[in-house]
Amino acid sequence: MTALRLLSRTKLYWGLALIFLIGALSSPVSSSGRNIFLSPGNLTDVLRQVSITGLVATGMTIVILIGGIDLSVGSVMAFATVVTAMLLTQEGWTGSALLGIPATTIVAFVAVAALIHFVFKGLARGPGVEIGRRADVALDSWRGRILPIAGGLVIATVVAWFLTGQVAGKFGVLAVLITAPCVGLVFGLISGAIIVGGRLQPFIVTLAMMVGALGSARLLAGQDSAVLPVYTGTNATEEFEVLRTMAWGVIPVPGLFFLAAIAVFGCLLKFTAFGRYVFAIGGNEDAARLSGVDVVRVKLAAYAISGLLAGIAGVLFVAQYRQGKPDAGQGLELDAIAAVVIGGTSLMGGRGSLVGTLVGVLIFGLLSNILQLHNINSNLQLVLKGLIIVCTVLVQERNLGQVLAAFGFARTKGEAPGGTTGRAEQRTAALQQEGNGGNP
Amino acid sequence: MREFMKRREFLKLTSAAAIVTGAGTTLILPARFNPARAEAKWTVGFSQATTLEPWRVQFNKDIKKEAENHPDVNLIITDGEDKTEKQVADVENLIQQEVKVLLISPKESAGLTGVVLKAIDAGIPVIVLDRNVDTDKYTQFIGGDNKLIGRAAGEYAVELLGGAGKAKGNVVEIWGGMGTEPAHDRHDGFHEFTDKEAGIKNLLSEQSADWKQDKAYDIMTTALRNNEQIDLVYGHNDPMAYGAFLAAKDAGREKDIKFIGIDGLPDEGVTWVNKGELAATFLYATPGAEGLRQAVKLLNGEKIEKTIVLPTMKITKENAPEILKANGLG
Repeated sequence: MTALRLLSRTKLYWGLALIFLIGALSSPVSSSGRNIFLSPGNLTDVLRQVSITGLVATGMTIVILIGGIDLSVGSVMAFATVVTAMLLTQEGWTGSALLGIPATTIVAFVAVAALIHFVFKGLARGPGVEIGRRADVALDSWRGRILPIAGGLVIATVVAWFLTGQVAGKFGVLAVLITAPCVGLVFGLISGAIIVGGRLQPFIVTLAMMVGALGSARLLAGQDSAVLPVYTGTNATEEFEVLRTMAWGVIPVPGLFFLAAIAVFGCLLKFTAFGRYVFAIGGNEDAARLSGVDVVRVKLAAYAISGLLAGIAGVLFVAQYRQGKPDAGQGLELDAIAAVVIGGTSLMGGRGSLVGTLVGVLIFGLLSNILQLHNINSNLQLVLKGLIIVCTVLVQERNLGQVLAAFGFARTKGEAPGGTTGRAEQRTAALQQEGNGGNP
Repeated sequence: MREFMKRREFLKLTSAAAIVTGAGTTLILPARFNPARAEAKWTVGFSQATTLEPWRVQFNKDIKKEAENHPDVNLIITDGEDKTEKQVADVENLIQQEVKVLLISPKESAGLTGVVLKAIDAGIPVIVLDRNVDTDKYTQFIGGDNKLIGRAAGEYAVELLGGAGKAKGNVVEIWGGMGTEPAHDRHDGFHEFTDKEAGIKNLLSEQSADWKQDKAYDIMTTALRNNEQIDLVYGHNDPMAYGAFLAAKDAGREKDIKFIGIDGLPDEGVTWVNKGELAATFLYATPGAEGLRQAVKLLNGEKIEKTIVLPTMKITKENAPEILKANGLG
C-alpha cells in the first residue's frame, strides 16, 4: 500500500504534471515545427503572468494558515499601484508622498527595532530552548529597549532622509520598491489590529478594508484620473523598465520576486518558531494561546505580510502594464484564495504549505495559457476554470469512494486509500459519513 | 478581565473615532462638493453611471466644461459607482431636489427604466445619454453609434491591409465585455467590411479582455507566441489596443503590426496615435457637452429633436496634434 499512499500524498504534483503533459501534447506547433507550449518564451510568459496573483497568494496562504482570510488584497494592491504610479510620475509632495514616507519610516523603525530586540533575545536564550517559553528570558533594559530603539531610529532616519530626497524629483525604482510595499504593510497591519483588537471575524474586517482601500485609492488618484499612465523614459524614470525585463535573460523579474517570496516565507514557515506558531494558531488558537504563544503578535504579522506582498504586487503591476489604477486588483483576492485552496491549504487553517500554493498558482496559470493557446472563447474559459477548481479540490480532499458515498451511491470499505489526513478532512468526512470510513 | 476591559476600551475608542470622522466629513462634504451658485436660475441634475472608467471621466469633464459657459445653470453630478441600485437612488434623490432637467447616462437599460419613468411622471424632462432606456417617453436621446464606428474601423483596417478587394492579412480582435452591446456593435460593424475580404484571416475567436489594458496585454502575449504572422490588431477600445501594442513591443514585433482602437480620448488614444504607437483611433464622443447644450435649449423653451447621433471621427497621426492642442495636451 505504500506506493498507493505515496501516490496519494503527492497527488497535487501529479495534477501539475498532468496539466503540463496535456499542455505539451496538445500544444499547437509553429511553422518551424516547434512546440509552442514548451517553448521557453511561453513558459516564462506563464511565470510572469502568474507572479502577481502568486505574490498575493503567498501572503494569503499565511493568513489562511492561521485560520483567517484576507479579502482586502486586491484593493490594497490597487492602492499600491496608484501610489507607485503617482510617485513615479509626479514631483513634489503629492498625496502619495505624504502618505508613503511616514508609513515607510514607521515600518522601518518598528521592523529594525524588533529585529535587534529579537537577535539579542535569541543570543541570550541560546540554542535548544523550547518554543513558547519566551518568558524564560528577560533582557536588561540596555539590550531589551535602548539599543533596539536607537537602531530603529537610526535606520528610520536614514530611510526618511533618502525618501525625502526623492520628493523633489520623481521617485526612483528603489524608493518606490521600498515605499509601496510599506504602504501595503500598513494596510495589512490595520486590518490585523482591528481583527485582534476588536476580536472580530477576519472575513468582515478585511471586507471592510477591501471597500475602504478601494475608496482610498480612488480618492488618492483623484476624481479626474481613473488611470495613471506610466511611460518609462518620458514621464517616469527609464530604470523602472528593470522590473519587467528578464533577469539574466532567463527568468522574468516579476517571477523572480514571486519565487523569492515563496522561498523566503516557505523557510519562515518551515524552520522558524514563527512558522510553528502559525500552524499552532491555525490548528487550535486557544491551545496555542494557553501554551504561551503570543497569538496577537503572530496574527498581526500574518496580515502585515499579506499587505506587504500585495504592495510588492502593486509595484510589479505598474511595471508590467504601465499604469496604476484604483480598479487594478478586482477579483484578485478570489483568484488568490482559489490558488491557495487548490494548493491543498485548508480554509479552516492549520494545514497546508507554500509549495502547495506555488503548485496551485502554476496549475491556474498553465490552464489559462493552454486555453488561450487553443483560442477557447473567453466565456467558455471561465466555465472550464470553475470546473477545474472544483475538480482539483475534490481530488485534493477526497477520493472517489467518499464522494459517491456522500450521495449514497457506494459505501466506503475499511480505510480509504487517501493518505493525506487533515483535520478538516476528518471533520467533514466524519460529518458526512457518521464514522463510516474516512481516516482514523 | 483585563483583556475584556481592553477590548471594551478599544471598541469605544474606535467607535468614537468613527463618529468624529463621520460627523466631520458630513459637515465638510456638502460645502465642498455642492458649490451652489447664487446666481443660478436652473438646477440641472446629471446622473453618471460610474466615474472609474477614463471615458466616463472625460464625459464628466466635458459636461463640467460646458456648464461653465452657462452661468444660469447649477449642475449637480451624481456618481452611480457602477451599481444599478446606487444610480436608481441617485435619480430618486435628484427628483426630490426638483431639478429642472434630468440628464442620465444609465449603467444599464432595464434597471433604470423604472426610475426614469418616475422622473417623467414627476414632470421632469429627461435627456438620456449614451445608453438608452426601455421606453420612448423621454425627451431626447443623445449617443454615439457603435456600429457606425465599427464600420469606420473596419473600412480603415481593409485600407491598411491593402485596400478593398485585395486586402490580405491576419487580424487579431480583442473584445470588450462579451455581454455588452457596445462590444457586439463594434464587432459587427468591423466585420461588415473585413468579412468581405477573402484574404483577411481572423486569428482569435471571441477573446475578451473586458475593456482592460492589462488583460489585453496577456491575451496578446499568448497570441504572439501562437501566431508568427499578425498584421493588424483591432481593440474594441484604445487601452486594449495599447495593451496589445505593449505586448508586441515587449516581444520586439510592434513594427510588423498595425493597431486600431476606439474611443479617441485625448490623454489615451489620441496620445498613443500621436506617438505612432496606434495606427488610428475612432472617436466615440462623449455626449456630455451636447447633452448640457440641449438641456439649456430646452430650458429656454426651444423645441429639441428626439434623437441625436454623435458622429465619429478617424484620428490618425495627421490630425492627432490638433486634437491634443485643443485639449491642452499639445
